[in-house]
Amino acid sequence: MARVTVQYYAQLREQAGSSAEQTETAAGDLAALYDELARRHGFSLPREALKVAVNAQFAEWSRPPRAGDVIVFIPPVAGG
Amino acid sequence: MKRFALAAAPIDVLAWQVRLQRPGCGGVCSFEGRVRDLNEGRAVDGLDYEAYPELALAEGERILDEAIARFGVQEVLCVHRTGSLVVGELAIWIGVAAAHRDEAFRACRYVIDEIKRRVPIWKKEHYVDGATEWVACHHAHDDGSRAPHGREPHAFVPDYSRQWRLREVGEEGQGKLRSARVLVIGAGGLGAPAISYLAGAGVGTLGIVDGDRLEASNLHRQVIYRAVDVGQPKVALARAHVAALNPSVRVITYERPLDAAAIAGVFADYDLVLECTDDLHSRYLCNDAALATGTPLVLASVYQYEGQLQVVSGAATGPCLRCLWPEEPAQALAGTCQASGVLGPVPGVLGTLQAAEALKWLLGLSSPAQGALVLINLLDLTMQRLPLDSAACRARGGCAQVARRHLGRVDAIDLDVARLDALLAGGAALVDVREPDEVAAVPLPRAAHAIPVGALLAGTLPATDGALVLVCASGRRSGLAARALRERGIEAFSLVGGLAGWRAEADGGWR
Repeated sequence: MARVTVQYYAQLREQAGSSAEQTETAAGDLAALYDELARRHGFSLPREALKVAVNAQFAEWSRPPRAGDVIVFIPPVAGG
Repeated sequence: MKRFALAAAPIDVLAWQVRLQRPGCGGVCSFEGRVRDLNEGRAVDGLDYEAYPELALAEGERILDEAIARFGVQEVLCVHRTGSLVVGELAIWIGVAAAHRDEAFRACRYVIDEIKRRVPIWKKEHYVDGATEWVACHHAHDDGSRAPHGREPHAFVPDYSRQWRLREVGEEGQGKLRSARVLVIGAGGLGAPAISYLAGAGVGTLGIVDGDRLEASNLHRQVIYRAVDVGQPKVALARAHVAALNPSVRVITYERPLDAAAIAGVFADYDLVLECTDDLHSRYLCNDAALATGTPLVLASVYQYEGQLQVVSGAATGPCLRCLWPEEPAQALAGTCQASGVLGPVPGVLGTLQAAEALKWLLGLSSPAQGALVLINLLDLTMQRLPLDSAACRARGGCAQVARRHLGRVDAIDLDVARLDALLAGGAALVDVREPDEVAAVPLPRAAHAIPVGALLAGTLPATDGALVLVCASGRRSGLAARALRERGIEAFSLVGGLAGWRAEADGGWR
């Protein structure tokens, strides 16, 4: 299990009801972590529509989450 | 009888007071404007008033109607003199009758202020020293039009001293700004502050693109517009705003969104572009045009309390928008202000950052936003910078190659009004993808299959072997639907600019 901080933007923040949370995860990669969180919060956005960054760098979905990581899920936004 | 009048002879105040009487009115307030013996330090011994009667009467009546609606007063009357008046003579009389005094005072104040601002009346002052001078009573109109007999306004000399003093700007930097040409696409929540700051900074030429008319729902965030402007084309209003703020800036307006066929040609005329629309398709089109022409592009978008900012250098090697999201996301996946709301200052902050990035670029200052996605959260007051690499585009031949491929493809989907007839004559079917209430309110200029976009994408297609030409109000929904249908192998086109563009083309001017 790894304890990580997850940050949410835009629609994800709205659906999660907060900008950030700490969570324990056994997910093998960031894709599995997102699926886990999507089930928990009822996220409507498919993973393919998002970008993910870890510790202020964009990351691959296949990267495993490590203890202490700050993970950000970013949806595209269109407003202007 | 009209409420607002022009009078060539002395005003009979008593007669007007009688007209004003109402049994239910406990508060009656009147204002008298009289000829003063001094103007801007010069002794005056009389003056002539001259009105543009048709416009003055219509505008005066409108102001009085506004005062009644706005303050709930029972009656408002006004009479304005024309002709020759001596010092002390009554030039304007305003009377307001209301149930209570408070609204009577406020309505009276409103009427005189608005008349001074809006009603076209000029006065020729006779000075004691024998000289005369025409002075516009109303303030200079926002559209820059001049009083027909008015004195020429003093040539405005911009004062950039506050930014000159910055070591990085100086005379040389100011010269760079003066010779710069910047295009702002979208004069909305992001564009409004961006346009203001760029004009204020003395950017020599500003291009402004917007096909929309101002709506009341825009005003909470689009700070260059006013309530009385609702219904007007934004480009015209934005032009007037720039003219009022800094008359030395040259403004070029584009009244319709740039389509794929035209966009690269327009970008080539500018040093830098700001993408300020709420439209993902426009963002991708601008990204591709920026790469194709090597033009730097400052992108921003907002959602509720957050924004994203990205500076694309225009260098063929990127990084660019497609390095981040290679394909345009489906509209349903992208958060919009229309559906989810936005706090007014959020686009204000992001649009201001776009202006700052633009000025930094023009002045040659380094920017950490280049080659990165910047996430701004105004709930938490946090800013995160995520460096981008161009691996995704590199794998597909590099950003510029990818951009050119997309520009070519989009061109084939977006159909210009000029090509519509030829396509329909060749057997294509016209499909109105607007909702039934929109179709009922404003029908298309010619017969079409009415299939709302939702039904179309759910599989309802007209019985035809030919191509489909989709039309919506602005070209946005039809563009998305046409792209979605193309992915299913259906030959679909989207009419650029939608019904608005079509009618503009047909009328040589919309409405």
